Amino acid sequence: MEQQDRFCDYLSGVNPVWCPGCGYYGILGALVEAFADLNLPTKELALISGIGCSSRLPYFVKAYGFHGIHGRALPIAQGVKTARPDLTVVAVGGDGDGLAIGGGHFPHVARNNVDLTYIMFNNAIYGMTKGQFSPTTTLFSSTKTSPFGLPGDALNPSALAIIYGASFVARGFSVKKEHLKDLITQGIRHPGFAFIEILTSCSAFNTTDMNVARILHALDYVPAGHDAEDPIAALRLAGDDSKIHLGVLRRKPRPTLEESFQNIREKATHGKPATIETLARQFA
Amino acid sequence: MHDFTLRIAGESGEGVITIGETVARIAAREGLHLVTFRTFPAEIKGGPCMMQLRLSDEQISYHGEKVDCLVALNQYALEENLPDLKNNGTLLCEAECDLPESDLAPTIHKVPFERIAVREIGSRISKNIVVLGVLSHLLGIPRKSVEDFLAEKFAKKSKAILEHNLRALENGIGFAEAHIEKRSGFGFPAGDKERRLLMTGNEAIALGAAAAGLKCFFGYPITPASEIMEWLAVHLPKLGGKVLQTEDEISAISAVAGASWAGEKAMTATSGPGVSLMSEALGLLSIAEIPAVIVDSQRGGPSTGMPTKTEQSDLLLAVYGSHGDAPRIVIAPTSVADCITMTGLAFYLAEKYQMPVIVLVDQALSARVETVNPGLVKNIPLAAARLSSGGERDGAFARYRLADNPVSPAAIPGTEGCEHMVTGMEHDEFGNFACDEETHTVMTVKRFRKLAAIEDDPALEDSCLYIGQGPADVGVVTWGSSSGPVEEAIREARRLGISARAIAPKILNPLPHGKLKKFFAEVKCVVVPELNFVGQLAALLRSTYRIPTIGLTKIKGVPLEPAEIVEKIIEAANGLHARSEQRNGTAG
Repeated sequence: MEQQDRFCDYLSGVNPVWCPGCGYYGILGALVEAFADLNLPTKELALISGIGCSSRLPYFVKAYGFHGIHGRALPIAQGVKTARPDLTVVAVGGDGDGLAIGGGHFPHVARNNVDLTYIMFNNAIYGMTKGQFSPTTTLFSSTKTSPFGLPGDALNPSALAIIYGASFVARGFSVKKEHLKDLITQGIRHPGFAFIEILTSCSAFNTTDMNVARILHALDYVPAGHDAEDPIAALRLAGDDSKIHLGVLRRKPRPTLEESFQNIREKATHGKPATIETLARQFA
Repeated sequence: MHDFTLRIAGESGEGVITIGETVARIAAREGLHLVTFRTFPAEIKGGPCMMQLRLSDEQISYHGEKVDCLVALNQYALEENLPDLKNNGTLLCEAECDLPESDLAPTIHKVPFERIAVREIGSRISKNIVVLGVLSHLLGIPRKSVEDFLAEKFAKKSKAILEHNLRALENGIGFAEAHIEKRSGFGFPAGDKERRLLMTGNEAIALGAAAAGLKCFFGYPITPASEIMEWLAVHLPKLGGKVLQTEDEISAISAVAGASWAGEKAMTATSGPGVSLMSEALGLLSIAEIPAVIVDSQRGGPSTGMPTKTEQSDLLLAVYGSHGDAPRIVIAPTSVADCITMTGLAFYLAEKYQMPVIVLVDQALSARVETVNPGLVKNIPLAAARLSSGGERDGAFARYRLADNPVSPAAIPGTEGCEHMVTGMEHDEFGNFACDEETHTVMTVKRFRKLAAIEDDPALEDSCLYIGQGPADVGVVTWGSSSGPVEEAIREARRLGISARAIAPKILNPLPHGKLKKFFAEVKCVVVPELNFVGQLAALLRSTYRIPTIGLTKIKGVPLEPAEIVEKIIEAANGLHARSEQRNGTAG
């Protein structure tokens, strides 16, 4: 097969169902360009998603795709990578998918340091169900299900990922495509669990939290001297209220789940693998 | 058939289970068949517990009702268990116990187990080995066999510990020789010296899965299924497999879906509460047509229910649980040996028909220890690898191709030129979402056609356990672990002159229609014993075959007893008799 190095080699030909003006088009573009830059064979690429507008993405990409159930992209992706460490596994989903219904899985897949890239599209709203608040919608916001103001404060995905022990955490912005492509490339190259939060707007709902002009005004890049190995420094940038810092916030490689499995195998076998017959013999 | 039933009862932590397991292991080595039953207190430490062993020179599948020999280690154990001792049985009880009033006339031996352990051995925890010594004398268990077993058991401990235990054994035997007269014909039946394997249902499930080629296990701890994951955690890595405890059952089954889709055999094991949580993913596996094996070791429900007690109340959950029309296969082993072969079969069916397979067992079967033939692990049918050929269409891969064969081509990631989507949304042949009425109709029909194809699968030739053959007045239909007591009940009913037989389908979805219809045609009425309140199998049979059923349900957290079933069989036979008198008139 000829080398796949053009971004259009990674498009399935199925047209995205997203609204005109949706920030996700930019993310899809950055993603397939990152794939092309990395020369990833499409047959070895597994794209896993949950439910929501962003979770439709795998249909539009040429790869092995799995559109699962709401909130479960990460556990499914963990299963894929456990079975097939040879595959490049990328999980995608929204802030609701990953922090509300699927919020219980995020810390565990992060702490297992499964070698996959998790891309969270953070638009601070439930778009597919037409305008209810999400885990990242800010306090007092008025949405369809919080008409008199939201009682809960917004969660900060990148800060959570740092605390959960993700070995790579980055934040990008759908409008800054080149920068985003670079983050995705770094995330895929990172050996271990890579989390990428992408700020993005919903063109149909929530025009305040993820207002492009507001973000452009507040954004700042991670300073050149930032020590990504220092979790406190990473958290300080991720949680900064005055600025939105884009870039690699945290990077601290450690053994991946697959390396742990190899370790376990060695310990279990003591160098001599068993057969089913030898295992049955213990019951004699 | 010669059989012998032994029960040891005491406080959890007193070594009751150690005594029982030691006797069982030695019996299996002597070539006996055996079935055991044990209770677990709900608490971690303390509380009453018991273990019962039934030994036989023939294949058995029930742990016995009345016991030949009862060992009671405290007053409570004595009072609770004495009513189950046979009239001519033997009681061994702790010397300090007061015998309750009883009509029974058993042979009674009061033995100061604890005093011997404390005075002679210097440790209370050796009491169980003293008991073992007394039993060895009383039941005629070869002393050398016990010593050999202890030597093996303590091989990795210090020599002093083994000597300590051998001394406890010696003291037990010594006491028994001096004070207990052996009864002729009482004790172990003779074995055929065929060394059998001895394992729990949970271990058998784990072993069967490993034999079937399980590569990825994901699970969340839950009583009474945790031992499956614990066994696999130790042993599966030796076969190149991986075991991962996940954060919940939803994660476990989702990871199974991912791993299986990626091409490896994957499984999870849980109990009812876990299956409730997994039901959405069951639907995903069904519509996305992904093979998966899910073990449900049932316990008393609903909700947290009775975690350590047995029940067969998840049948309808297994068959129907999940929203939408979501076909899946449900199989139900009837014995520990079945747990090996049918777990193996589950993988075969899951791969072949590309759908989830639920293996339904229950606490009683999960925990009971039974002898099995060592050759079973080699007789697991191995499913053929997934085939991608024939999926190519218009330059894309038709993962859900519509054709005569409802099972479509499947390509695992990494296969050149077969990139495609699998999805929980309704989809066209290529896996692209499509929510029109035509697509939903043809795809739903396609998925159910796979279910219809299963009945003729040669791998399911032995899909029913038959107890008795030919025409009969009373037909009993049962499932899972209740088959054991039903087998005993049929034997007893026939001894009483009642024409009765039984069938236990080992596949419950789809039901083996041909075999069941033939059975219904050969019997005059149908009794359905099972461990739930509403009669779930009976409901399934009534709605599928439009036949009347006579239910026998029990929700006490323990298995059915043969006597309860015999009573129902007699009642059903009498009902038939009364009806026939009404029809034909009675003489005089």
